[in-house]
Amino acid sequence: MQDFYKNDFKRMMIIPTIIMLILILYVFVLPFVLPSIFPGIKPGVDLTGGNVLIFRSDKPITEAQLVSALEEFNLPELKPSIIASPTGYGAWVQYGKDPKVTTIENILSKADSSLETSESDSIAFSNQVLTELGKPTQPFDNPKTALLAAQQALADYKEEFSGKLQAALTQKLGLGQDVEFQKREISATLGSASFSSSIFISILGAVMIIIIVFIAFRQLIPSAAIIQAMLFDVLAGLAGMAFLQIPLSLTTLPALLMLIGYSVDTDIMLTSRMLKGKDGTPGERATNSMKTGLTMTGTTLGALIAMIVVSYFYQIEVIYQISVILFFGLIGDMISTWFMNAPILLWWVEKKEKQHKKF
Amino acid sequence: MANVLIKNWQLSFVAIVLLLSVALIGIYGIKLGMDFSGGTLYQVELQKPVSAEEITRISNIISQRIDPSGLKDATVYPVGTQFIIVQLSETDPVELEKVESRIRQQGRFESTLDGNVVFTGDEIKKVQRSDNSYGVFKAGTSAYKWSLPFVLNEKAAKNFMESTFHKCTATGTSPNGLPSYTCEKTTFFLDRPNALIVTTTAQQESDSLLLSEGNTFENIPQDTQIETLILDSMLTVLFIDENTALDKVVASAVLLKTKNAIVSPDVSESVKNDLNALGFTVTVSQQRKDIPWIWTTLGARQIISLTEGITNEDVAEGDMSRAKIFSTLNITGQRETLDEARSDLEELTILLESGSLPTPVKTISKETISPSLGDSFLSNVLLMAILAGIIVSAIIVIRYRTLKLAIPIIITGLSEIIIMMGFLALIQRPLDLAAFAGLIAAIGTGVDSEIVIVDEILGKSKTAHESLIQRAKAALFIIATSAFTVIGIMGPIVLFARNLPGLDKLYGFAIVAIVGALIGIIITRPAFTKIVEMIVHGKEREEHKD
Repeated sequence: MQDFYKNDFKRMMIIPTIIMLILILYVFVLPFVLPSIFPGIKPGVDLTGGNVLIFRSDKPITEAQLVSALEEFNLPELKPSIIASPTGYGAWVQYGKDPKVTTIENILSKADSSLETSESDSIAFSNQVLTELGKPTQPFDNPKTALLAAQQALADYKEEFSGKLQAALTQKLGLGQDVEFQKREISATLGSASFSSSIFISILGAVMIIIIVFIAFRQLIPSAAIIQAMLFDVLAGLAGMAFLQIPLSLTTLPALLMLIGYSVDTDIMLTSRMLKGKDGTPGERATNSMKTGLTMTGTTLGALIAMIVVSYFYQIEVIYQISVILFFGLIGDMISTWFMNAPILLWWVEKKEKQHKKF
Repeated sequence: MANVLIKNWQLSFVAIVLLLSVALIGIYGIKLGMDFSGGTLYQVELQKPVSAEEITRISNIISQRIDPSGLKDATVYPVGTQFIIVQLSETDPVELEKVESRIRQQGRFESTLDGNVVFTGDEIKKVQRSDNSYGVFKAGTSAYKWSLPFVLNEKAAKNFMESTFHKCTATGTSPNGLPSYTCEKTTFFLDRPNALIVTTTAQQESDSLLLSEGNTFENIPQDTQIETLILDSMLTVLFIDENTALDKVVASAVLLKTKNAIVSPDVSESVKNDLNALGFTVTVSQQRKDIPWIWTTLGARQIISLTEGITNEDVAEGDMSRAKIFSTLNITGQRETLDEARSDLEELTILLESGSLPTPVKTISKETISPSLGDSFLSNVLLMAILAGIIVSAIIVIRYRTLKLAIPIIITGLSEIIIMMGFLALIQRPLDLAAFAGLIAAIGTGVDSEIVIVDEILGKSKTAHESLIQRAKAALFIIATSAFTVIGIMGPIVLFARNLPGLDKLYGFAIVAIVGALIGIIITRPAFTKIVEMIVHGKEREEHKD
């Protein structure tokens, strides 16, 4: 049995340390210093609120074409993107809230908050909304009816607006009448609520993993080594997201969680064999574990490549994003497990054995 | 083969669970989620957070409003205290606009008697849920009485008195000497349409029959007369057959009030064309099985009898000025079981309250997915699975230089997929993208664990002095710990999915990943370990022979 770790294994740890620093710089620091070159990770529409229109086309479309087709609408924060694949073109048009809608929503919330304090004020606000939307005002006697009429008018306005948008795209890009639009319209409050739920659940999940790892191994250094590998893998996944401009969303969050699950698999196997195994030297045990671990990661990477290729080819966006993030994360896992976690454990086991001999 | 199955309980266990899963899939079927079959997801945000009880009520009201007949297959549930999720398979923008305005707007509740409105939802000040008289009470050995007090505003209370004045008739004397009465009945409508109703005499006959039979589930009492129902609906209903053509004079008169016409499915095209020619917009209202078409179409919900206690029978006929005005009314009913009584009460409460959402809607977030996505999806997934399977097998074969191990790994993976599908069928959860991601996660962890098992048993067999059982134990520790980490990360999502907005989208992912981990350690991994042990045993025996 060859011993991969027979030379100075402590020096190996320099590699992941340097990579980790680079990744931290790339994901968290540089986007603040040089945002034009390093865009960092952007939260998706479902975590920020906003609108998205998605459609497919057999004809080639460019981002410039999208922008010019939508010019007349003056969409705020317009972010068009095109995904080209051998089977066609997918367009993703993201835009922020119409300032007019924001203004109207503010008046609406005034109308709502004055429902109980002053009925006439509330009716006046609701009528103001109708005026803003170019609808005739009405002599309402029930403030609730007035508010509902105003809300309905706003909903109609939004629907009409998105209808015009779709018509313009269909006509100017020559999409044909049977084009199907997927629409997403997420309110800012729902977005921020989802965002805090995601943060909460991620922190809770991390705490749970730390507890489970500590219960399983009951020793500080080996457990901490598993946790560092997990953090490294997530960081690698995040770097992949920043690199390919995949937003953090409710569909990519599961990928990061899955990544944690996959990454601890190899670390748990390694740690268990290093601490509980009896055959061979620690170095041999680590090398043996590496053989098993690389098979584990190798099969997963193989399956991921199949998924990336097929989902890219047929534009199954969600699966594409998930598998790309996992791919990056698992590449990171090979580095963090075999160049960091294994050396830490070897160091720790050898030190313990030496202590043992003194007694 | 059969022998091996019987001797090893681990293998027979997997076989039984597999059969069970296939049966479950056969019985319940696997539904494709909105991501693949298309549909619309609304996330309704209320103006302010409300209590858990309140949000359940609002969610029930919305469900009643948008899908009263249950034909649209709508799923409505609250998340936390401020959000309500509405999921529909509908994608037609016109229909969606209707749904959205129904979520936002109040339901139009009306109670009518003899073709006059007695009171409406707007006029109900409140249902006295916290009053002592609200609830279900035991009345005798096998009877439960329920009671629903509610308050009308002043104007409606007066109107109620006037329209119900002397609507009971003394019909005799009860055994205890008091006069007994028969009283008239009011009909409760929700979102009564404003339209001309056109149907056939055949439909009329079958509806009459169904109405007189009654329907407990739909709250239709026995001996309900179609004529009374139509009178109470205050709408014009025309009956036609081969001999009688559409009465154009009557229809034209209705045209002054509304341009809408609703017809039953059996109304002929020529009649529909006539209606169109007159200027009507015609919609066809479908019939639900065994439920009178006219009942659903008119929006009728309940028929409630008056009682002599509120019709001022003691006041002289012509002396309405002395009649008592009741602002608090009380609807009561009686059922044989507690559950039935409770559900009657709850249903009627929701109906009365549907006139107003207790807390107004602030914003509605909306996602529409077109159905065309699903067409190619299944074949793409299959392609993905086959490709991934080939690559994984190739790696296993190269690593162990034998086909003997790759085959069990693939079979285990397939078994896990089938069992997880069986689980999805059992809990009636659709396979959406999230659940699909969960499947991938579970299968990936599964293959990882199987490699650990193989290496623990096979890798050590040459050097170690440990027995096969000891080696399997070491493998078990590793795979159990890794399964617990999966449960550790996904558990919080499952726990909080119904409380924190956004997380319900991850629920399918988390539950499948957890169940996959459990299926692995409890069902499939023990069997896989057994198979690997058998393979290694065979090998070791062969080596001994040499």
